[in-house]
Amino acid sequence: MCPAQHFGVLYEINPWMSRSVPADPSHSMAQWEALVETLRGAGAAVEVLDPVEGLPDMVFTANAGLVWRERFVPSRFTHPERAGEEPHYRRWFRSNGWSLVDLHNKPHFEGAGDALPFRDRIVAGYRIRSEFEAHTALAKALDVEVLSLELVDQRFYHVDLTFCPLDERRALCVPQAWDAYGRDVIKAAVPEPIDLEPDEALAFCANSIVVGDVIVMPSCSDRLRRLLDDFDVRVCPVDEFLKAGGGVRCLTLALDMGPS
Amino acid sequence: MTASAIVQVEGHIIDSLILAKILDVIVESGADYRMLDFEVGRSHTDPSHARIELHTQTHEALAQLLEDLHPHGAHPVDEPDARLEAAPSDGVLPVGFYSTTNLPTSVKIEGRWYDVDRDEMDCALVVDGDAVRNTPMSKVRRGERVVIGVAGVKVIPLEKPREVTPGESFAFMTSEISSEKPKGLLVAEVARRIQHIKAEGGRLLLVAGPALIHTGSGPDLARLVREGWVDVLFAGNGFATHDIESALLGTSLGISVKEGVPDEGGHANHLRAINEVRRWGSIRSGVESGELHAGVMYECVRAAAPFVLAGSLRDDGPLPDVITDVMAAQDAMRGQLDGVRVALMLASTLHAIATGNLLPASVETYCVDINQAVVTKLADRGSHQVLGIVTDVGLFVSQLTSHLCD
Repeated sequence: MCPAQHFGVLYEINPWMSRSVPADPSHSMAQWEALVETLRGAGAAVEVLDPVEGLPDMVFTANAGLVWRERFVPSRFTHPERAGEEPHYRRWFRSNGWSLVDLHNKPHFEGAGDALPFRDRIVAGYRIRSEFEAHTALAKALDVEVLSLELVDQRFYHVDLTFCPLDERRALCVPQAWDAYGRDVIKAAVPEPIDLEPDEALAFCANSIVVGDVIVMPSCSDRLRRLLDDFDVRVCPVDEFLKAGGGVRCLTLALDMGPS
Repeated sequence: MTASAIVQVEGHIIDSLILAKILDVIVESGADYRMLDFEVGRSHTDPSHARIELHTQTHEALAQLLEDLHPHGAHPVDEPDARLEAAPSDGVLPVGFYSTTNLPTSVKIEGRWYDVDRDEMDCALVVDGDAVRNTPMSKVRRGERVVIGVAGVKVIPLEKPREVTPGESFAFMTSEISSEKPKGLLVAEVARRIQHIKAEGGRLLLVAGPALIHTGSGPDLARLVREGWVDVLFAGNGFATHDIESALLGTSLGISVKEGVPDEGGHANHLRAINEVRRWGSIRSGVESGELHAGVMYECVRAAAPFVLAGSLRDDGPLPDVITDVMAAQDAMRGQLDGVRVALMLASTLHAIATGNLLPASVETYCVDINQAVVTKLADRGSHQVLGIVTDVGLFVSQLTSHLCD
């Protein structure tokens, strides 16, 4: 994770961002600290990366790249506003023992934000931020099957706003954010999908973090809480970060991903 | 279809339904496609690979389709530029030259595709700045840059017939010889195709052999010309001679066209006819002076339908209009092919095959002969667009004329 002291809505690169609705620095710092505490409380260890002034979205480390055991596939951002983050992530992962794997032909790829392991595959999003070519390159580089979903709603610009694997059988899903082919792909790949209601989807319920049997969510409806009754649901409000289009999962990058 | 490209896509395109989506995008755009190859990954982590050839009506439609396919990872295959080499001397092509087909062809030069100016088989491609000229071997000049090999050359296959609505369909054109099919129906279908193409502004080319005159089809053919169905005529010395002989003397090769009996001294009638035309100076002069007043050649002059008479070794005379230099005759024929969309080859071997060599594959071609060998020969020489009708040509012409003119 990356502390929030330089976070702010300084530009507009998704429909959630508006410079006329700025983030409150003390609130965002407090919400970030609370999230770290919640995750630690759930049993997670948290590594922290130094924030950099002028890179307000660096707080969203989900987009740093994709961790695959000892390998790290660095992102290549679509927007120049975020491209400045790339060298900082590369440096951190290299100096912490990961080997870096660059994707062939350097396609746009926004890391774990657009690539989520589910069972023995990666469910990946394309069209808005990541390019389809990144999926093929990822599949080749990591020798893993990648299921590509075309994202069709600008509000759900990363796949991690539309899909959240819970265990081997279940995942939270926002089918209306995928095209018809993508909906069929998930129908075939996920035995027990839990489709979110529109208001749950827009509250970024799919942008949640599973730590063992704890699920940390930016918000949770009663309906969803009942459906997730075998999980210990812990809501951690991050509305300051919603102003920039990110939920709790966007604020983290899982370091234990990849084949066991 | 005038524009085409090859795209390839690689990845987990089956389980992700990406290939299905790509094919749907292609079909929904109205384009045609051909799957060139499709390799399925051996294990579930192996990516699959597909190469798809696209065909669209216009270059704009192709550009739009490529743009629509781009996000799904289907990109144009990077074809190399065509290799060019200078012709070593006049009329000599560099070794390994690309030999053309009669199909629309494009050539890639410095990263861009250029359409070849015309489609003629068995020629070379000469690149001259932005222009790619289909050039017969004898016309190549020393130092001209000639395409070598097949890399960077794209041939667009003929569009498959789409619909079978009566009068519209080209579907019965199966490039087969039809000695077994009911002739009446075929003739009616040919007539409908001719009406359709003429209505769209296409030109009709008639290639005629002398047997047409011997068998009494002259008046029907003359009527087809007079009523505007024939736009250009290719024939030889024999056809024109017998047509004029029958107009002047009532015989064809000395046999009375009406009674079918030999005229006294008629064996020289065709020579007398040729001699008359030589005296006039040309067929046109004979028409203008009122000496020639009937027949196919007469109607051509009257209707301003151009004709090319190409000579051969066995010609008598010949008529002054006959081009005896065969290469010059080929050129004259080439010069008349603009806008030709349908060709009727009637009872002619030499001129039918010569014309078949010059025609683009897109020209609907009907070859009618009592001898199946003519039709077979034409198809064997690469004119695959030909529908051969093995029948008595006199019967065919009379039925066709009544379909078109009555």
